[in-house]
Amino acid sequence: MRSSKFLLIFFVSIMVGMVNPALAQEKVVKMALKASDIRSLDPHYGTTTIDYACIDPMFNGLVRFKPEDINPEKIEPDLAERWDRSKDGLVWTFYLRKGVKFHKGYGEMTAEDVKFSLEKAANKATSGFAGDYAALAKVEALDKYTVRLTFKSAIPSVLGILTNYHGGYIVSKRAVEEKGDKFKVDPIGTGPFMLKEYIPKEKVVEVRNPDYFRGKSKLDRIELWFMPDASSREMAFRKGEIDIVEGEREQAWVNKMRQVPGTAIEIFGPGETLVVHFNMAKKPLDDIRVRRAICHAINIDELMKFLGPDVTEKLVSAIPMNYLGGTDKVPKYEFSPEKAKKLLTEAGYPKGLDLSMVITEMSDYRRPMEQVQEQLRRVGINLKMDVIAHSAFHEQIRKDVNPMVLYVCARFPTADPMLTQFYYSKSIVGTPTAITNFSHYNKIDDLIEKARVEPDAKKQKDIWAEAQKKIIEDAVALPLCITKFVFARKINVDLGYEMRSTLTLVTTIKETTDVRK
Amino acid sequence: MLKYAIRRMIYVLPTLWAVVTFVFFLIRIVPGGPAVAALGSYATAESIRQLEEQMGLDKPILVQYGIFLKDLCQGELGKSLITQKPISQEIARALPYTLDLAIGGMVIGILFGIPTGIITALRRNRPPDYIGRILSLVGISMPEFYLGILLMYILAIKLPFFPVLGGGDFSNLGSRLYHLFLPALTLGIIMTAFISRMVRSSMLNVLREDYVRTARAKGLNERVVIYKHALRNALIPTVTVIGIYMSILMGGSVLTEIIFSRPGLGKMMVFAVKDRDYIALQSVIIIFSAFVFLFNLITDLLYSLIDPRIEYH
Repeated sequence: MRSSKFLLIFFVSIMVGMVNPALAQEKVVKMALKASDIRSLDPHYGTTTIDYACIDPMFNGLVRFKPEDINPEKIEPDLAERWDRSKDGLVWTFYLRKGVKFHKGYGEMTAEDVKFSLEKAANKATSGFAGDYAALAKVEALDKYTVRLTFKSAIPSVLGILTNYHGGYIVSKRAVEEKGDKFKVDPIGTGPFMLKEYIPKEKVVEVRNPDYFRGKSKLDRIELWFMPDASSREMAFRKGEIDIVEGEREQAWVNKMRQVPGTAIEIFGPGETLVVHFNMAKKPLDDIRVRRAICHAINIDELMKFLGPDVTEKLVSAIPMNYLGGTDKVPKYEFSPEKAKKLLTEAGYPKGLDLSMVITEMSDYRRPMEQVQEQLRRVGINLKMDVIAHSAFHEQIRKDVNPMVLYVCARFPTADPMLTQFYYSKSIVGTPTAITNFSHYNKIDDLIEKARVEPDAKKQKDIWAEAQKKIIEDAVALPLCITKFVFARKINVDLGYEMRSTLTLVTTIKETTDVRK
Repeated sequence: MLKYAIRRMIYVLPTLWAVVTFVFFLIRIVPGGPAVAALGSYATAESIRQLEEQMGLDKPILVQYGIFLKDLCQGELGKSLITQKPISQEIARALPYTLDLAIGGMVIGILFGIPTGIITALRRNRPPDYIGRILSLVGISMPEFYLGILLMYILAIKLPFFPVLGGGDFSNLGSRLYHLFLPALTLGIIMTAFISRMVRSSMLNVLREDYVRTARAKGLNERVVIYKHALRNALIPTVTVIGIYMSILMGGSVLTEIIFSRPGLGKMMVFAVKDRDYIALQSVIIIFSAFVFLFNLITDLLYSLIDPRIEYH
């Protein structure tokens, strides 16, 4: 009896007393994200939210967005102290900070690393974002701390492609050459944190970079957990095992988590645009009257109410207002089932019509589309939707199977990337240069090309506005709304800045982030 | 018996080959590939093509199959298409967590299932039997993801006794057990339901046998009759199904690992399906199949040890 009691006490004590005193002294922030694993920690390949969350604390660009805001007009110096540009905007010279160290003894960051990084980012064989650098003619290291970039033609935002985002991150030339393919899971940058451990399917652990040029980070360590299951993330957060958690972009989730003591809810931009692209190459949507009928049949206010007023924002044009070049001076299709029915009758569908399409299982797409489906049913449009896996959805829509495609995305906050990818003829799906022009639209190529090389900022904005007006007039696509990103944070975690919008799409950990015990 | 075991192991090779071949072709038929999964909303026709080339998916499918079989025969499982890490390393890391979970669940199932089965059989058609049967029905019908979240809510959130995150530090036995308890309990409750029903029905059959009547007629103590004569015989069919239940547990580990964020094989498999990581998925299924075979073989061999009437040819 005594021995069994002893065994019980022993068992309970080893199960409950698991605190490592060394860890108790550390300042650690744990974040859980809706992800199964990273894709790549090489910043020139990372495209998912979890990739961004892991990459951003480890790398810098020549310039950067302010931590709290992605306004491209407020880009500030990062690894470059200053820069100047030629009158025609084709030659840019950057003067680097001195004494910036790469992680783990990989030496000082120099012009050679910048040249190597930008050439890597521009090379299709070594980067997923080479297309962004198509206009980059050459990069020259003039001396140890000076880099000159020469462009073939003017582009909408040179600083934009040099920020702490996608191909703009600077990597260690020596580390990439030494590690080769392993760089994807063992990266070397200059950021406030450096990789300690990557455990596939579980987490990434990063520790403080003692040599960070803006000063040591306040946190010792950050852990980024891959937790695709929403309930598990919520439980771990409620339990206190996770400090920051990616939430569901739903009003109900926001309301529920606001009730959890000690919790701050972060709802931030730029958000993702929800746009329905009409396939104009297929009947019956080749008829503008049918497309306009659909536009009139969709009640956007009802949709936004359904998704949640806290997590949605109006989107009136193909480009959001907070993007450089975004405008609200576009025609509007007011909600009018009568007009919708009248247009359908005129188009030869007095009894309505049947459409079928595929949709991803991801709730960010499926839920709004289900609402649209119900609204269309009210005017006699029966939309049959087959729910398939997310990767299968991406494959199928690029094979042009859908009469209309709901696409949810965020892009670099200037008008050009979205206009080029969704409304430029070279981007039409099914062509060799395809990107995501699901509508097969080709009527604003001249405007897109003209705006790219327009040196006058005001004129450039006017051309972009004209392009957006045409998109709505031709009923190429219907902007529904913007859904913002939702995170819950323990109030003892101080980010060190006020989160308003970020291109990393997650609550970003910076050197200023701190945690109170 | 050794000859029998070796023969069974040889027989399993064509079965394993059939399983992996089926999976190899099936997953490639399903729409959506690893390149599209990896690139997501940034996928362009060109970037998909490039990534597929890097992943070796541009080769004809039969060539890919040939390479896969050749590597497999040399004991090479290949590299994950997504993480680029050797699959053997990822499996070596994940497998112990899944085995811990399956064994933990089975231990709990046996510890609670056998006594429950005995009690309900001995108190047949009386309140303990009714309660036991209702609870076992609930246990069998309850999906593990729901039960897991329920246990998590009660034993980790409301009563903060146990963690909800991860598998713990594998080199630290205490941390490992601490993180194992809730997931193992989730599977253990389900196993308890299965085993208790099996034991109950076996016990009821055995209690009607002549030798039990004889033992009682001899005037033996009821405890001796139950535990020595009845239970030992009732356990024979139970042990045989425990092997099959172990396979169910390996399957049950998939959702349990997702809920508790345990870095095991089940979680690896789900993520591999989601990411269309063909190489990882094939490898995990080979390991799962091998374990199912192993558990069945052990059960067969145990059967002859428990019941001397059984002989293997």
